[in-house]
Amino acid sequence: MKFLPLFWSGIWRKPGRTALIFFQVSVAFALFGMLQGMKTGVDHAAAAARADLLIVHSRLSFLAASLPAGALDQIKSVPGVELVVPVDIFGATYQKPTQGLGVVAISLVKDWPSAFTFSMAPEHLAAFQKLRTAALVRYELAEKYGWKIGDRIPLMSHTAQMDGSTDWAFDIVGTFSDSDVGSGRDNILINLAYLEEARFLGKGTVQHFNVAISDPKQAAAVSDEIDRRFANSPQETKTESLLELAQQQAQEIGDMNFLIRAIVGAALAALLFATASMMMQSIRERRVELAVLKAVGFTDRSVFLLILAEALLVCVAAGAFGLTLATVLLPIAGVFVVGLSMPKIVIAIGLGLAIVVALISAAVPAVQAGRLKVAIALANG
Amino acid sequence: MNFVRQFFGVLQVDLSGAAQRMGSVLTIIIGVTCAVGVLVSMLAMGIGMQRQATENVRSDRVILSSTGARDIQSSIPRDEAVSARDLPGIKKDVKGAPIVIFTSLIPIEAHRRLTGTRTFFPLMGTTANLIQYRPEIRLTGGRLFQPGLHELIASNPCRRQFTGFEIGDRRSIRGIDWSIVGHFDEGHTLQCVVYTDVDVLMSTFNRNTYNQVSVMLQSAADFDTFRDALQANPALHLEVQHEREAVLEDFKQLKGILDFASYFVGTIMAIGATLGAVNSLYAIVDARRRELGTLRAIGFGSAAVVASILCESLLFSLPGALLGGALAWVFFNGLSASPFGYNFQLAVTPSLALIGIAWSLGMGLAGGLLPALRAARVPVATALRAA
Repeated sequence: MKFLPLFWSGIWRKPGRTALIFFQVSVAFALFGMLQGMKTGVDHAAAAARADLLIVHSRLSFLAASLPAGALDQIKSVPGVELVVPVDIFGATYQKPTQGLGVVAISLVKDWPSAFTFSMAPEHLAAFQKLRTAALVRYELAEKYGWKIGDRIPLMSHTAQMDGSTDWAFDIVGTFSDSDVGSGRDNILINLAYLEEARFLGKGTVQHFNVAISDPKQAAAVSDEIDRRFANSPQETKTESLLELAQQQAQEIGDMNFLIRAIVGAALAALLFATASMMMQSIRERRVELAVLKAVGFTDRSVFLLILAEALLVCVAAGAFGLTLATVLLPIAGVFVVGLSMPKIVIAIGLGLAIVVALISAAVPAVQAGRLKVAIALANG
Repeated sequence: MNFVRQFFGVLQVDLSGAAQRMGSVLTIIIGVTCAVGVLVSMLAMGIGMQRQATENVRSDRVILSSTGARDIQSSIPRDEAVSARDLPGIKKDVKGAPIVIFTSLIPIEAHRRLTGTRTFFPLMGTTANLIQYRPEIRLTGGRLFQPGLHELIASNPCRRQFTGFEIGDRRSIRGIDWSIVGHFDEGHTLQCVVYTDVDVLMSTFNRNTYNQVSVMLQSAADFDTFRDALQANPALHLEVQHEREAVLEDFKQLKGILDFASYFVGTIMAIGATLGAVNSLYAIVDARRRELGTLRAIGFGSAAVVASILCESLLFSLPGALLGGALAWVFFNGLSASPFGYNFQLAVTPSLALIGIAWSLGMGLAGGLLPALRAARVPVATALRAA
């Protein structure tokens, strides 16, 4: 306890210098936190994707091929499958050709929401199931275009209606949110039964099936079994869980590991050098003071620890400040990844790195201080 | 004149002592090196992407798309596409046919050779006179696709990056077998490009509109004639762009993100390096209080002291900029990157080196200012008395 005022006064001996070092360390760790947080955050979000929801699509192509709606019964008969929901999708534009959105047509079978990652208010769900031309719009999309419940939105598409028109209109009955990281932001949900009745081409086909299974651990086995049932048929399928899809997507974005490591490495190397050089400078200036401490009875060891503790306190406090800053800024910086938050592991690694930086940069000066010969230091001033 | 002489006098004293303060000087240099190195390497992504995108661009080629729309959203009815062929200023081939191609884009998927992961890229349907419009296409194996058949030609990067693009390989698209019949190079691009016959592609996907019409003009000077004629024709709801503009527009968003990220990270690193420089220069100035006091006592002006310390700070930053730029070039120039499915090589260019130098001078100036002012404010008597 008696050391506390001692190293406190050591830290505040030159407040300007301490403040500069503090901010330099903070800046480096804020950068580390944001870059590593983004990378790890995306990986974590992908790992948190639902393993118990499977997507059954055509083996030929994820986007460009379709499956017969009749495959439903075959999928349903696979053990472990709880619920199968046919889904079709098409692209449309709103007002301007550059304002694209995805139209997701869902067959409104009983309990269909349990096979999706969507959540919506019960009254919106009820209204959606009542009106054939109803649409639920993603909350962010409704904000973007200022849509309100009761609005009728005209959309243009490449999908023709029975009368040849490619214009569609839907009645907004509510909004939904989506917890899946991989899904598009600009989506609306409509009733597949209505699409099926109104469209000219592609009747009787769907783009994929959403499948809910009872045990997420059996996802791989159930997927394989579904694909086996369609093997060697004209409609071969490929079944993937949302978890697998999200991981593939994270890999595409996270193809920049090398760059992130290089940047963080450069920032830490520069930091290490700066703090080490500052600590040396500080010890040089304080030779006399440290010699006096030893003269009045401090051991070599306690002087060594004193210097080390000073460096540790400044670096860890600054590191914590920088990481806090990064935690606050991360959701803003990662605006294109929904629900990105700072993983705890990054904070832990960051604080560990701060300790390492402090120990390495203070090692030489602390040893020097510990070995200081009282007589020589006092004589040379 | 007096100021200049004094300035160089102080600067000489400053620099002659630099060797004794190696720690502080190195801190500045290393800090600036890292900040500039990171900025230049990151900006090299945007530059590399832009360089690849515009490598084959020619000023006599123009792109038509439907008014207000681009790429996959653009939709040009067949009759409009055909009448666009009659506009003035279009170059004719030896048989007298206008060099105009119609393009349709369909996203299809491929699997990466190394990881097996799925990625999407556009399959481009074009008309058979593709080679006349794009003479830079060089077949390296096989032959061109034949109109009316389900045949594909793939650029060599496709074969290197993805599976299933060897000549003779069959790909199933919409339940139909398409065979790869040729490989080609299109300049040095790393982007995978696959061409096929546009009519076959459109009938496969039930399309009846093209996405783009690309036109080769007699010369770049005919652009205005062509555009005026296009706008004067009420039957054509099309917009014309130079090929360069159209290509850059495609990349604008991604380049914006990359450049923003570069300057964001670069700025944070620069703030760190500047703080380090301030600290080091304060240490240098403090260590030389007596020296500076002496100079002032024998008649050197404080302006000369301020200017020389600032200049010293700039001189310490410059090697950092050169070193940072050089390291970025050694480690990152020519490195392939594939963020968000684009493939390109990072390019560290002289213009980036200039940005790096400007950046380092900014850090030097900002870092040197406060210490220089402190140096000038040292009261002569105190400084001389200080031990």
